[in-house]
Amino acid sequence: MAAGATKTDDAILVVDDIVVRYDTAEGPITAVNNISFKVRPGEFLSVIGPSGCGKSTLFNVIGGLLSQHEGVVSVAGETISGPHQSIGMVFQEESTFPWRTVIDNVAFPLELIGMARTQRAERARHFIKMVGLDGFENRYPGELSGGMRQRVSLARTLASEPKILLMDEPFAALDEQTRLLLGDKVLQIQQQLKQTTLLITHNITEAVQMSDRILVMTYRPGKTKRIVDIELPRPRTSEIVSSDAFGHYVAAIWSDLREEASRGMKDEESHVLHEGGAS
Amino acid sequence: MAETGRLTRAGEGRPLVSMVTLLRAAIILAGLALWEFLSHSGLLYRDVVPSLLAIARALGGLLASPNYYFNLGVTAAEIGAAIAIGGLSGLAVGILLGANPFLSKAFESYIYYLGPTPKIIFFPVMIMWFGVGPESKVALGTLSCFFPVALSVAAGMRGIDRVLIRVGESFRANTWQTVMKIYLPAMRHPIINGVRLGLGVALIGTLLAETKLSNKGIGFLIINAYSTFDMPRMYANLIVLFVLAIGANALVGRLGGLDSIKRV
Amino acid sequence: MTATANRRNSGNLAAKAVGLAFLIVCLLIAETLIRADAISRYIVPPPSEIMGSFYRIVTEEHVARRFLLTAAECLAAGAMITVFGIAGGVLMHRFKLLQQACETWVAAMASAPVVLCYPLFMVIFGRNAWTIIMIGFIAALPPVILKTIEGLAGTRKVLVNVGRSFNLTPMQQFWKILFPAALPTIFVGLRLGLIFALINVVGVEFLINYGGLGQLIEDLAERYDLAGTYAAICFVILVSVLFFMTLEKIERWLRPVD
Repeated sequence: MAAGATKTDDAILVVDDIVVRYDTAEGPITAVNNISFKVRPGEFLSVIGPSGCGKSTLFNVIGGLLSQHEGVVSVAGETISGPHQSIGMVFQEESTFPWRTVIDNVAFPLELIGMARTQRAERARHFIKMVGLDGFENRYPGELSGGMRQRVSLARTLASEPKILLMDEPFAALDEQTRLLLGDKVLQIQQQLKQTTLLITHNITEAVQMSDRILVMTYRPGKTKRIVDIELPRPRTSEIVSSDAFGHYVAAIWSDLREEASRGMKDEESHVLHEGGAS
Repeated sequence: MAETGRLTRAGEGRPLVSMVTLLRAAIILAGLALWEFLSHSGLLYRDVVPSLLAIARALGGLLASPNYYFNLGVTAAEIGAAIAIGGLSGLAVGILLGANPFLSKAFESYIYYLGPTPKIIFFPVMIMWFGVGPESKVALGTLSCFFPVALSVAAGMRGIDRVLIRVGESFRANTWQTVMKIYLPAMRHPIINGVRLGLGVALIGTLLAETKLSNKGIGFLIINAYSTFDMPRMYANLIVLFVLAIGANALVGRLGGLDSIKRV
Repeated sequence: MTATANRRNSGNLAAKAVGLAFLIVCLLIAETLIRADAISRYIVPPPSEIMGSFYRIVTEEHVARRFLLTAAECLAAGAMITVFGIAGGVLMHRFKLLQQACETWVAAMASAPVVLCYPLFMVIFGRNAWTIIMIGFIAALPPVILKTIEGLAGTRKVLVNVGRSFNLTPMQQFWKILFPAALPTIFVGLRLGLIFALINVVGVEFLINYGGLGQLIEDLAERYDLAGTYAAICFVILVSVLFFMTLEKIERWLRPVD
């Protein structure tokens, strides 16, 4: 396994030396400590790490929702200082607008840029079809399942045609089977659109199946532990997923993660012992 | 995202608290100043807005007069009786309905829909049944108090974690023990909240009845001030009443460990 | 429908039938006791006589006009609490300092016996509809304000973040995300407020002997029309219950989200 060769010249997303510190009741904490990496156009990069490693903080920094950090994030040469139109975010929690129909949800970013109504509807339908929800345009999210709602959120973000798709554990709340199916769908779309994608996850199998490269984070303060090139052919069929090579990657990443995850667990336990409460 | 809940920004903290107090003081002072201005401006009919001094004097006179405390006692006794009778019957009915789904389906919607209705209109009936004395006021207060207590208790019963009941069963607790040692302690919050709401409506019902037909009590004092057009005295009565009512509400809420009085 | 659902439904039906039957039995017992003079008919008229008076009350006492008057007063109070209640809640949400200073005051007002100020309002506005409307307004205002704040503040953080991720301006954030998300809770507040308004409006009508339905009861009581008074009370309670049910239906209809 190559130790994270970074081909720098044609990077579309550059994350440079990000440090995030903040104050808590127990004193200052460093959530993220000197993370740097680059993402090429069309690349699928996963960031994987144990709970509490700061990957969601990293997600917020790159997305522009958290501006109190050191270091620079730039997209196609432009520095990010807040939410940027070239970065589309898909959140972990339910994020569809319950008061809007599916098509109105997906058309939301198009509404914001002032696109005309008929054009909006057409564009929205295109992305609704892409995520496989055609026929559900006029339903409300409340009528849909959790997996379908995440697809609506995805379609909404895709409709804004971002240069970079940033996803924070979008399948975490779903059951295993739905997650696998959705993962396939996302991969299919990503390959079709050649969409640069950054996926935050804790699921190793998912990461290996979908990514070109994987960045493994340490436990808090989150640093880059390793960047792994996944040299498996595409499309990543079920044959490939059950192959030996795949298994090797998973095992190797788990051995890295296990160390970090158990550090995290010990830290949580000592928290409860000393502060008298779970964080 | 375990850490984000405890984010604070350096430098905030102490000063923010006194800003709130400052704003409150400013609002109160502005209100009082506006009042005093209206009072002396002659814009409104003569004593409708008496000067703050007149109100303060009336307030002092009120709190110093034994007659006031006599009337306060009468009203308090009426309200107390209303809460006792209405509260206990509400508790009993609530426990019954909460424990038995069949009874709940049969009867609870009646209580639910009859609750938010104007009970004061029953006063003529109460007078016919109980006479013109304090009994009719207590009756009206009881009627008002019953509903919120019954509904709160019934809902509280249903909200009890089933597993606690099974624990009692596994230790072969009898009905009385189960009620006293499991149901009631588990329902402390809904009961207290029900009592708080019941107190509020019992107070209103009793006092309104007093303003309608009585020769004793705080309600009587208020309507009496109206009929003699003694405005400073009316304001004084209302101020003391509001302070007592809000205070009682907060006290009961605090007793029940409610985190805020923002529950409507 | 599944077998369990069918069983559940018939269980519900049986319970409701029992409830209704119980009520009817109570009325029959009352009727018998009163006719047998066990209870004086000069204190409680027999239920049959009360029901008989219904028709008389409805036709002779201009019930339609009274109903419209009470409804108009409630509507006026309702319109005022909608405008001032929601605006107040929005302002307090927007200016956190204001909220921190005043929210407890508003909550205190919610538990205060506002209606007891009706003699004061009579002095200020006179013995007329304005007293009634103003009491209804002030008594009903706090729940609308509190629920508006609760709704706006309770917007799920992820929805706010979605808005931020699309770089919405504060105005856009408010109108496209916060306000729609808060609407269900705001409607709860309006429902509570409207109920308070009705209760206070009818109550004050009764107390000051002016107005529509509340005044009807007071009128009949003063005329010692026993059966009529009972009938009128039942009628007003019925109106009140129907109003409450209607509000609930409207609120449920307006909530496609849950």
